[in-house]
Amino acid sequence: MNIRALVARPWIWGFAAAALVWLMILAISGQGGGQTVSLALSLAPYLVIVGLGQMLVVTAGPGNIDVSVAPIISLAGFVSVLAAFSTGSATVGVLAGVGAGLVIAAISTVAILGLSVPPIIATLAAGLIASSGTLSLANGFGAVPDPGLRSLLNLRPAGIPILAVAIVVVTVLVIALLRGTTYGRSLIAVGQNRRAAERAGIPVARIIAVTYLASGALAGLTGALLAAYIAPSADLGTRYLLDSVAVVVIGGTLISGGRAVPVGVWGAALFFILLDGLVNLVGWSSAAQNLLKGGLVLLVLFLAGGGDRVAGTSSRFRRRPRPAAATTTTTGENTHG
Amino acid sequence: MHVDNFAARPHAASREEGGRPSGQQPVVIARGVTKTYGRTRALTGVDLEVRAGEVLGLVGHNGAGKSTLMRVLAGLEACDEGMVTVCGRDASGEAGPRAGDFRGVRMAYQETSLCPDLTIAENIWVSSRHCLPRMGWRRAAGNGARRRLDEMFPGHGVAPGDRVEDLSLAQRQMVEIARASLVDRLDLLILDEPTESLGPDAARSLYDYVRTLTAGGVAVLLISHRIREILSVADRVAVLRDGAVIAERPASGLGEHDVLTLMGAEVAERAGNERVTAAEGASEDRPVLAEMRGTTAAGLRDVSLRVGVGEVVGLAGLAGQGQQEVLERLWRPVRRDTKVRGTRAYVPGDRQRSGVLPLWSVAENLVVSAMRGIARRGLRRPAEERAVVRDWVERLAIRGGPDAAMTDLSGGNQQKVIVARAFASAADLVLLDDPFRGVDVHTKTDLYGLIRQEAAQGRSVVWYSSENAEMAHCDRVYVFRAGRVVAELTGAEISEERIIAVSFAESDGAQNHE
Amino acid sequence: MSETLGPALLPSRARMRRTAPAVVSAVAMIAMIAVCASLQPDVLSVSGLSLVLSATVPLVIAAQAQMTLMAVGDIDLGIGNFVGLVTVITATTLVTDPLLGGLILLGLVASYTVLGILIHLRKVPSLIATLGASFVWLGLGMFVLPTPGGTTPEWLAAFGMWQPAGFPAPLLPILLVAALVYLLSARSTLGVRMRALGSNPVALERAGLRPLASRAIAYTAAGGLGVLSGLVLASQTGGGDVSSASSYTLMTVAAVILGGGSFYGGSAVPWGVVIGGVTLGLVSVVLSLLDVPTNMQSAVQGVIVLAVLAGRVLVGKVLR
Repeated sequence: MNIRALVARPWIWGFAAAALVWLMILAISGQGGGQTVSLALSLAPYLVIVGLGQMLVVTAGPGNIDVSVAPIISLAGFVSVLAAFSTGSATVGVLAGVGAGLVIAAISTVAILGLSVPPIIATLAAGLIASSGTLSLANGFGAVPDPGLRSLLNLRPAGIPILAVAIVVVTVLVIALLRGTTYGRSLIAVGQNRRAAERAGIPVARIIAVTYLASGALAGLTGALLAAYIAPSADLGTRYLLDSVAVVVIGGTLISGGRAVPVGVWGAALFFILLDGLVNLVGWSSAAQNLLKGGLVLLVLFLAGGGDRVAGTSSRFRRRPRPAAATTTTTGENTHG
Repeated sequence: MHVDNFAARPHAASREEGGRPSGQQPVVIARGVTKTYGRTRALTGVDLEVRAGEVLGLVGHNGAGKSTLMRVLAGLEACDEGMVTVCGRDASGEAGPRAGDFRGVRMAYQETSLCPDLTIAENIWVSSRHCLPRMGWRRAAGNGARRRLDEMFPGHGVAPGDRVEDLSLAQRQMVEIARASLVDRLDLLILDEPTESLGPDAARSLYDYVRTLTAGGVAVLLISHRIREILSVADRVAVLRDGAVIAERPASGLGEHDVLTLMGAEVAERAGNERVTAAEGASEDRPVLAEMRGTTAAGLRDVSLRVGVGEVVGLAGLAGQGQQEVLERLWRPVRRDTKVRGTRAYVPGDRQRSGVLPLWSVAENLVVSAMRGIARRGLRRPAEERAVVRDWVERLAIRGGPDAAMTDLSGGNQQKVIVARAFASAADLVLLDDPFRGVDVHTKTDLYGLIRQEAAQGRSVVWYSSENAEMAHCDRVYVFRAGRVVAELTGAEISEERIIAVSFAESDGAQNHE
Repeated sequence: MSETLGPALLPSRARMRRTAPAVVSAVAMIAMIAVCASLQPDVLSVSGLSLVLSATVPLVIAAQAQMTLMAVGDIDLGIGNFVGLVTVITATTLVTDPLLGGLILLGLVASYTVLGILIHLRKVPSLIATLGASFVWLGLGMFVLPTPGGTTPEWLAAFGMWQPAGFPAPLLPILLVAALVYLLSARSTLGVRMRALGSNPVALERAGLRPLASRAIAYTAAGGLGVLSGLVLASQTGGGDVSSASSYTLMTVAAVILGGGSFYGGSAVPWGVVIGGVTLGLVSVVLSLLDVPTNMQSAVQGVIVLAVLAGRVLVGKVLR
């Protein structure tokens, strides 16, 4: 029963790993651990937001992945800073960033549902369009991030970043969305077994569309905040493609879909950020950082294993109903009458 | 070695021509073979032998265990108990696709086992590679395939370089049969519904070739639901029922009616006691809920049918004759020839593939369809959902209760949950896609009762079943054959014998292919 | 047999439907070359074509690697960084110690095999596993060569500089590799095993063939082609840079799709991949000749990919 309970809480591992890394940092640097945590908490939220969007997409079932998050983050960074600069309102800026994400995600969605383009290609193409937008905006870009938003993002009362608190609230909302709304339940049903969900009367296409749009919007939000926190740049989002998928996998979300673990995204994101800190502290290069990340993702993946290899690939000949292989029952009665 | 050296087989050529096969030694012998899948006993003790140089016809109704028996005889699966002997060697210990003892046993599958993206020659390599040369295998395989196809189906119109996905259904079937027969040493050829998608000419030339094969000492096991075909081709007929061979007769002197009787067309004590007697004849007066008018599409030919409010309409006939296409149409009425008023729910038959949501509990699985109707503005209302779940778990006595994991349930209980899922929703029309296959008798009885109760409350049900006895619970039954409605039975006309007789009647169905 | 000659002489409807994507891409490719030539007549000369095509060579080879994996129904999201890693090894170890360098490159091929075997045995989606592997390739590459640099072995540099008279040099590796992949994936029994796995794994098992072997073969071939692509890229850039090919990951997938490949496995389209890869590579040339700002190039690439796929859906509907 204990093992079952542990397996049922896969998010624990991300936090455990993060705690381990934190202890190592503490042992090596000998400085106050609180400061490390505070720093990690101010960096992790960005990864968490985009990770939550990626988690929703991955939960929608095999083959679903959003590779447009990285270019969306870069684009949304420029768009939001520009909008905030020209209107003078940071709120408008953030909304513009989210809007940019929605527009790009809308392109993917139309391609996925309308042209039956596989998600990876659809989001890739939409991402290419986004990166063109980014480059066009980056040319002679003169706007500067809204100082008010920047100072808000840097605000750390009692060492706890405001942003982290806000994103915790967002995470709670995502959890509520998955548990308490028909959309969330439908998404999880679609991810478990798309055919069964369709037969159960779930509007699969609508669910998929909402999911990609949500991922685009969250990536746009990440870009808007990140650009205000650092500065808009063309490769602002580059690392977030691999990282967002990695935190989803390490966080315990089922890769084959149907089980989302929003809390796990937090654990994995903290782990990743702290790992960066540790590697920097030890003086290792970013090479080791990547090696570690990649190795960990593969380790988690191969240890956890996947379920059934999904049979969608070769179903062309299986459209005809299978002949009843086994139908006679054990009970003595002759049901044929 | 060559794939097409069948004619030069030494042990075949030396055989005496003319002696009828009754004296030949058995090629494959099954003794007391049983096979259980989960809680289902597919084979309950089969004794069968197939002798060299004979055609053995195997008949049985849906679910009698034909497919399982063939898989065991072909060495794809090991049997649980009993013994399978191939050419005098005990082969029951060794089964699986790589088993050497079964090399001389080849099977032409009903669902073809060809790779659609590969050419014919490449498909031949996949299954007959051990008798192809390393160099020039493509040409050898292609030549072998072409020669065999020419022998079997003159005018087939297939070239060895064609991709399988580009062939018509009939051509695929031809290639599948040719593929099965291309091997250096053929002892037993199993043909599973070989003429299902072939035209009458192709069927005739196939059976001519089968006779040539048997004359050369090969044994042929022929499975078909076309009883006349079996009677005209086979030397002996074995009847499979409820997982056992219940009769083995010489084909000569056997009539179609005799075989039907052996297969189980005898009268049963019907579960009529729980049948709420629908007012017969009144069905004409019911308001129409769903309707199809002269629908012709893939798998359907000029199908017209009508579902009244509160009516249970059955779709009967052999598997795969268009019933599921009708359900599909009613589920997603996209065309103008299909009209459905009201909401729908669907109960799939293949629960693993299109029913079970494996990570969820019983309650979650049960309520997923009803959830939308219960929710307000997209927000779930857990208390109401729980009430619905409790009600249905109780009503259908689902073992394990609402919190059990779905995958921990037995097949029957899983099926109850999936049926409950449909009926728990507010749907006006419930579509049943043969959902009670492999479900135990008590569960079935519960569910039959449920269907009648729900119908009495004004819900309409369209019910496809491969088990004809179930049709007795319907108000009206459409019998399908080759995509057509061949009979419409109402009230007292609905009987198992009647359905079997209509669905096997070859006069009006068999020529409709191609 | 007159009826067997029929399909070979007259392209059947089915054959047309299957080749339609590659034909659409080919039309796009020819149109682009024509646009180039009309803007800059030098493009049609041998040296002009060499210049235009050279950048597409490593991409096309990497796309062949992607194609072999897509033939078994998998996708490789690590190929870009893998090619980058190979350029790094080529620019460092292969120069200082050719034997060790060669062994490392062979080891990289073997690591692809292992990756394929693990993916099969643990039943994990190739999409995520190769994404994870891409971190590893990137990390290894940065470890060996933190900043772009190094030199290429002389023989490789000579190959990069080679300018034969009479025909554009880049055509040679493109066509040679395509022919090799064609022999492997479309003509040999290994190719049949691979495509059968992507097409109908049930049939593969029924016939007594091991799906694991098929997958291992495909990953080994992909690893080999990835190494080849990296060698060619290094010969052109004259050095190593682990991130020099990071755009390949997604471009190769697009090239295979443009060339008529499918996500569901089963088909091998080495010649289509050539067309698809060259088309994608030419886009940037055409755009720069048309004075389209470099900013817009990736958007145009994205739109072209979507347009070709939309065209395929349309053509498929018309030909049905």
